Amino acid sequence: MKNLNMSQLFEKLNDVKSLFIYGQKIIPVLQSLVDFMQETVPLLENINHSIADSTSKIPRATDQINNVTNATELATTEILDLVDVISNNLSTIDNSLKDITEKEKIKSSVIEKLKALLPDNAEAMQLFQEYKDNDVTISQIEKLSEVFPKIQNDTYNITLSLQVQDITSQQLAAVNHLIESVQTKLASLIHDIDDTNLKEVQSSENYSTPEGATFDPNASYDKSGDRQDMIDEIIQSENQKASQDEIDKLFS
Amino acid sequence: MKKVILIADDSPTIRKFVSFSLTMNGFDVIAASDGMEAVEKLPSQKIDLVITDLNMPNLDGFELIKAIRSNEEYKDIPIIILSSLSGSEEIEKGMSYGASSYLIKPFDPKRIQYEVSKYLN
Repeated sequence: MKNLNMSQLFEKLNDVKSLFIYGQKIIPVLQSLVDFMQETVPLLENINHSIADSTSKIPRATDQINNVTNATELATTEILDLVDVISNNLSTIDNSLKDITEKEKIKSSVIEKLKALLPDNAEAMQLFQEYKDNDVTISQIEKLSEVFPKIQNDTYNITLSLQVQDITSQQLAAVNHLIESVQTKLASLIHDIDDTNLKEVQSSENYSTPEGATFDPNASYDKSGDRQDMIDEIIQSENQKASQDEIDKLFS
Repeated sequence: MKKVILIADDSPTIRKFVSFSLTMNGFDVIAASDGMEAVEKLPSQKIDLVITDLNMPNLDGFELIKAIRSNEEYKDIPIIILSSLSGSEEIEKGMSYGASSYLIKPFDPKRIQYEVSKYLN
């Protein structure tokens, strides 16, 4: 019986010995784990601060994007106002030139009548000729009038090009929306890491995209007309579908 | 008497572009910054045609079309959608709600004049 107890005791001692050997082996691993943790904690704190810093800067970035949108909107409106004024002035000049052309035609006719009345007066004929040589001809005025439709067309093109502002403002609004989503995610991440930084982020949450702002994230500045052609095709096919439905209904 | 066109768009520049393109062709243009304002402006004078954006705060373009089409007094007013959305889903939805035409942004001023003339001349 004693022999059995001793054998069990040695067995247990062997187990304890194995445990010590294992412990000796694992201690350096644990030590390096602790070292790693000690090195990682400041790194994590750094990351945390960087996230908090970036998050606090996001409102300023979105503010700046909004400022850009407002500035371009104002500038575009001002340019369009000027285009409007130019267009109106052109229209006034065009109308005046048409009046002048009519009056020039009348004047030419009067001169011809006067010439017919004084065929033998050499001095009068010379004066008529001098007048004719220095007169602004109708064709010259008509040449000027021909320029107006071209200028009008150019103002149309300016109008078309200025619409880039609306498209870019929608794209910027989409970027703002994306930035705000990132800010929200970062704020929740900071909250998970360290509660104390949350206040800093929340204080900068006053900023947001103007309330109710709407945008098309896929807005693109495409002047080719291809997208309009595609839309026209869809509408046309829809209309055909509708009329086919009506025909079917009639005969059902 | 000049025909009156109501433009509903939250972009001030687009409102200006449309006004610019249409007033020079002899139309009167009144502007609304969203669908709700457009609905409020409808009774202010006889509106002959409505041009509307789709993405708008308060009341979007689809809801505006629905509101116009469901009102006995305004249901026959031609409505032109002017949007940067070019997906077939939006186009089909807009047309099924009762839009008369669908124009894409950026728009050609001549095209919008053509579409307006189609309904008003």
